[in-house]
Amino acid sequence: MAGLELLSDQGYRLDGRKATELRKVQARMGVFAQADGSAYLEQGNTKALAVVYGPHEIRGSRSRALHDRAVINCQYSMATFSTAERKRRPHGDRKSTEMSLHLKQTFEAAVLTELYPRSQIDIYVKILQSDGGNYSVCVNAATLAVIDAGIPMRDYVCACTVGFVDETSLADLCYAEESGGVSSLALALLPRGGQIALVQMDARLHQDHLDTLIEAAMTACKGVSKVLDQVVRQHLQEASTLQE
Amino acid sequence: MIKTEKTLHLRRFRGRKVRVVREHYLREQVPCFSSLCQADCANGIKVLPGDLTHYVVPDADVVVNYLEILELRELQGIIFTQTACQALHSKGRRCVYSAAVWYYNHLAGMMNVVMITEDEEAVAQYSSLHSGVYVISVQDYLQNFWPDLQAAQELYTSISQALEEKEAEDSQREFPEHLPAEVMEAGIKSGRYIQGTLSVNKHRALNEALVLTEGSCSQSMDLSSGVLVHGGKNRNRAVHGDVVVVELLPKSEWKGRVTALTEGQGDDRSADDGQENPMPTGRVVGVLQRNWRDYVVTFPSRDATQSQSRNCQRVLTIPWDRRIPKIRISTQQADTLQDHRVVVRLDSWESTSLYPNGHSVKVLGRAGELETEVQTILVENCIHVPAFSEAQMKEMPLSSPERPWRVDPAEAAKRRDLRDSHLVFSIDPVGCEDVDDTLSVRSLADGTLLELGVHIADVTHFVAEGSLTDLEARTRATTYYLADRRYDMLPAVLSADLCSLLGGVDRYAMSVLWELDAESLAVRRVWYGRTVIRSSYQLHYELAQALLNGEEVRVPELEQFCPEEKDLKLAQLIQALEMLTRVARHLRLQRDRGGALELEGVEVRAQLDKDKNITALVPRQPLEVHETVAECMIYANHWVARKIQESFPNRALLRRHPPPRQELFNQLVDTAKVMGFSIDTRTNKALADSLDRAADPQDPMVNRLLRMMATRAMSQALYFSTGSQPQDQFYHYGLALDRYTHFTSPIRRYADIVVHRLLTAALELEQGAEPAGILATNRELEELAQHINNKNWTAQRAQSASTGLFQCLFFRDRDPQTDLRCLADAIVYSIRDNGVLVFVSEYGIKGPVYLKNKEGQVVSAEPDGSCKWQSGKVRRYPSYITTTSGGCTSTFRLMSHITVRISVHSSNCHSDALVLEVVSNQPHRGSEPQRPASQGHRQLVQEVVRLAESAQQQAAHAPKLSREERDFLQSKTPNLYSILEEIRELALMDPEAVPRLTDPVKTGQ
Repeated sequence: MAGLELLSDQGYRLDGRKATELRKVQARMGVFAQADGSAYLEQGNTKALAVVYGPHEIRGSRSRALHDRAVINCQYSMATFSTAERKRRPHGDRKSTEMSLHLKQTFEAAVLTELYPRSQIDIYVKILQSDGGNYSVCVNAATLAVIDAGIPMRDYVCACTVGFVDETSLADLCYAEESGGVSSLALALLPRGGQIALVQMDARLHQDHLDTLIEAAMTACKGVSKVLDQVVRQHLQEASTLQE
Repeated sequence: MIKTEKTLHLRRFRGRKVRVVREHYLREQVPCFSSLCQADCANGIKVLPGDLTHYVVPDADVVVNYLEILELRELQGIIFTQTACQALHSKGRRCVYSAAVWYYNHLAGMMNVVMITEDEEAVAQYSSLHSGVYVISVQDYLQNFWPDLQAAQELYTSISQALEEKEAEDSQREFPEHLPAEVMEAGIKSGRYIQGTLSVNKHRALNEALVLTEGSCSQSMDLSSGVLVHGGKNRNRAVHGDVVVVELLPKSEWKGRVTALTEGQGDDRSADDGQENPMPTGRVVGVLQRNWRDYVVTFPSRDATQSQSRNCQRVLTIPWDRRIPKIRISTQQADTLQDHRVVVRLDSWESTSLYPNGHSVKVLGRAGELETEVQTILVENCIHVPAFSEAQMKEMPLSSPERPWRVDPAEAAKRRDLRDSHLVFSIDPVGCEDVDDTLSVRSLADGTLLELGVHIADVTHFVAEGSLTDLEARTRATTYYLADRRYDMLPAVLSADLCSLLGGVDRYAMSVLWELDAESLAVRRVWYGRTVIRSSYQLHYELAQALLNGEEVRVPELEQFCPEEKDLKLAQLIQALEMLTRVARHLRLQRDRGGALELEGVEVRAQLDKDKNITALVPRQPLEVHETVAECMIYANHWVARKIQESFPNRALLRRHPPPRQELFNQLVDTAKVMGFSIDTRTNKALADSLDRAADPQDPMVNRLLRMMATRAMSQALYFSTGSQPQDQFYHYGLALDRYTHFTSPIRRYADIVVHRLLTAALELEQGAEPAGILATNRELEELAQHINNKNWTAQRAQSASTGLFQCLFFRDRDPQTDLRCLADAIVYSIRDNGVLVFVSEYGIKGPVYLKNKEGQVVSAEPDGSCKWQSGKVRRYPSYITTTSGGCTSTFRLMSHITVRISVHSSNCHSDALVLEVVSNQPHRGSEPQRPASQGHRQLVQEVVRLAESAQQQAAHAPKLSREERDFLQSKTPNLYSILEEIRELALMDPEAVPRLTDPVKTGQ
């Protein structure tokens, strides 16, 4: 396990959190005027910027249009300065493509796409600083951006990564933990109904532990949703007072 | 939910310089764990006592470098900050200082806090900032606060010198550098290098070492017997136990191993190291993992120290373990430490140095003293048994003579109450304090059914899983029995009182009750569960045997009754004992049919007088009750094993005894062939039968020796988790049972505690309830089993080392030339190139006898049998060895009796060793070998008499003696075979011997 003690005997993690505690989440909505919706979200040191355009007419080939619902187009990219070692290519590599697909799936489950047939919604997410849990931060940022754009959703989509160490589930892994050999699981949740929009796990984990891990992920997601809700409410309040 | 946040900027190196940003969360509230706490911290168990003068907060550097000082038991109230533990150097000091200030404020100034650091700047910067928080260096701290604690000061100087040493080192290379890790890894993968554990030959520590490889890593050749590493240069600074990487040398440089006997002295005769059958030979190119532990070394005497010219502070010390190279230590106390045994830790071994550098940690005492030697054995076997800590003791229920602990009625209601319905009794060695097993037997349903019960102390009721006591017990894994003392696995309040099933008091127990058919003794029904019992009689073996033999003996528990009642109760007890014996005989017969083995182990106990001087070495006494009790316990273990294996097929802790490797029997078969017996080793049944047949009516020793050799060929019994082995591997070869575990001694063995928990869980599962705790998974259980196995081996090693120590102490005080007790009869059981291996049954000593000494002289026998050293030759044949000198030839045959003189080769730095010298090739004292059993026996009776006398003399010392008593008797239990064997041997003695044996003990009470 790379020689790192991920969970001390006293129950503290590397960065001083307890097992179930999330990193500090800070977010702002409506950061760009040009876009239909935008949001900036920090979860610990992972920082993401999400921009939403649409719904609008299908751009490019018309054949992609769906007659009964909107097409969601996602693009994920990482800034060249986002990781410890400078990245060569901000987007378009295999990892980013995969991540884009995951985002697309997640939001197809959450956005009420059937309200906008033959149209397209673009979600662009950029990671400015990467410190673990990129996928979940992207989802959380994109949710805020979609809400900012005024696109109707079934519920907030909240995502969180959880890991499993020493019989304990760690919520919201940071980079050091992710690279420390934890079997991690990313989960996107529609918290009110408790529906799972996406689960992703590519590590080995004993079947017996899966339930506890998913349970921990869902509690963590609900924690995130509370924060997001607060952010949205505060943003609305500010926006309405400005208009007055 | 969200905490204040702070980011730490760290610089790390990975190829290039990379800046990594990590966040760090600080929380407003952490529990302070102090008993002075005013702020209602969630402290749980308070570990910081309030009655100290100050608390100490060491900073990271101090923790890294001077941890040994902080480990001293005298220093208390040490606060290790998370910062110091992670040894984050940057900003560490400020954090530690803030922690110290926080503590001071948090406890409202009720406790002074001392921060210790080695950084002078920090001392200057912080020392005057805050009253009540002192910042000082380690040296000042020790001098001001602990002026009396000499040990700490010495430790400090020793470590700081070792640190200074590190810097100034330069001279030419003595060893090639180790390869970098990547190169080694790539080499191992490509098959160029071989990875393995280095194991140094104890007898030729300077030259021979084997690298034992795990699995078959190379397909091209057979490396299963290991790779030889010859000479110190090739070993390249690897120390015994390290995981190393070796490179094979070209075939022309391969060497063979030496098979001749050498004296343990390490003085290698470089001349003829065997070229005959060369084996793969290699050289160490790197060390993957150092497995350095604490070593015991001896400081040389002043006159013997060699090159003191360069720097008189550096001393080459000689480790106790011969396999470890000399260790260089910097110390100013070389003079005072002469001939002392000291615990050292290795720091480094530079390629420029012939010897590794170390620093001393703890002084054990002068070499040769009993206490020092016993401590040495403990350290060398990595047995760490500090007194139980305050926090652990706080978990224990209270019990004092004034307010004895009582059974809780609510708890008792949940259990089956056997207090009035069953006659429960225990049979243990004399003076046993921790009674963990009791028995009961009664007839049911008008005598058509028999109910046999085994009741085991319910330790798990008191030791909750995961509690501090549980963790400590898990680390210790077993109670350590040394020849003169023991180290308990559980605190004494449990092992000697609450868990111990003493007579006449109510106790919790885990019981197994069998309903047996009264005639056929077939099992009708088995009941497992928790019970409350009250043991009526606390018998000991001799007493129980006397009762069975129908003798008039006094049972202490019956003294208070009037004669009629007494007779009635006595009759009941005797009837129960007889029933028990009948059942046990039947069980034994069943297992014998299955092929259970009776094997032989040598076990001698040292008898001490009140100053701990050894007065005699006494072989152990076998009685039939031993077998009866052992048989019932085996039966209980077997049935519990069945139960937990059925309930938890993948994660039950069982014990298996794998069948031995056939090639290990070669020596036994060959030896037996020489004697005219054939040994069939194909199955355990065949082996048991052929061992029974292989008895020489003239000489009962032959059979004993053959059994002993069979024992040596056996593999070790092991704990394992059922999920990790296929079911056909569960078999217990020695006991001939398909499933076996350890259930009956939870006070002394951690495995039994685990089994108790499993059984409880199985019972809960049966009643449909969810088991309370989460059960260990297969992997965890397997790891635990491995740990317990290791600990058992170390316990066995320590025990035999301490027995050896006492043997040496016994002979050390006697003059081998004049004292007749140093002459003994020995029997030759193996032939080597330049000598023979003999067994001295009287003292249970096995050892080599040299027929050729270093000057090339050989032993030649005169016509009357006495032996002399003369120049000549030795020739070895399969069944005998001859020495030729000056035309006359003398022969030493396998299994022949010779007379040896036992003396002690005392060595300052290592453990003393017994030296056997042949005195005569005739049996000792002419007539006696015809009936050696009775000869040994007569002496034994004398010893027992003396034992009784000394017991009377020292009534005041009685507890000590009784403890020793049972140490020896109880230490037996890991090796059931030898108990059984001893019982079997009873048949060889004259029948009237038993009463004579027990008499003195009885009067001694």
